Amino acid sequence: MERRSFLKGFGVVAACATLLPHVANAADEAKKVAGPNEMNYENAVAAITGGKPLTPSAKVVIVAPEIAENGAVVPVKVTVQSPMSDKDYVKAIHVLASKNGNVRCANVYLTPANGEAYFGTRVKLGGTQDVVAIAEMSDGTFLSAKQNVKVTIGGCG
Amino acid sequence: MKTLIKIKPKEYKVGDVVKVDFMAMHPMETGMRKNKDTGEIIPAQYIDEVKFLFNDKLITKMVIWESLSVNPLMSISFKVPGAGTLKVIAKDNKGQSVESIEQITPKG
Repeated sequence: MERRSFLKGFGVVAACATLLPHVANAADEAKKVAGPNEMNYENAVAAITGGKPLTPSAKVVIVAPEIAENGAVVPVKVTVQSPMSDKDYVKAIHVLASKNGNVRCANVYLTPANGEAYFGTRVKLGGTQDVVAIAEMSDGTFLSAKQNVKVTIGGCG
Repeated sequence: MKTLIKIKPKEYKVGDVVKVDFMAMHPMETGMRKNKDTGEIIPAQYIDEVKFLFNDKLITKMVIWESLSVNPLMSISFKVPGAGTLKVIAKDNKGQSVESIEQITPKG
């Protein structure tokens, strides 16, 4: 499986080369292309929380590699401690890559039928940055956790 | 769009929390990449909405963006309430949509 995902990822290294325009070198700066959904971290957080405070919490566990050899395929897993009952559950898990052109990766709207607040995926990272998980709880609070991921491959910034 | 649904573990009982992996074969173009020969920008094409339904009741809805990897994997938890049909509907920003079905058959 590892070999397969590596090969898959290899072909798309080029895809993420332009994901992170603002850390690209000067030559690239001139011909940078704006993506269709460009959004920076502050705006994305504001859009999610609606101005409510974001509390870093140990209840949110984000698992991502500290060093990613290939920025095109970075596995990210988010778990939130919650009973997931009808009255107390995690409404949504948001995954953000803090320095991508469009920082939003996924907004996952859960229900108590999930049994457990978990979301796993693979993201593209344009360079070394924090991957942030925001959990929206049923009581209206927002909890967060982050993990810094070092992206080593040169082609991605 | 080819898709794949995997339930982990393979054997489960009613009330167990299983992991549902959904994979779709999709290019997930960011709209920022250029065609190397022509220099033209390859238009963005990415899956933007995925819904997980069990017996037509919504379990999880996802709004996703181009930052997900090529051939994206999305994995959620699911508490098995009994036998039934798990349906996953994925749609991309060009309106292409795909429905995949997996039977949930708990043992014991």
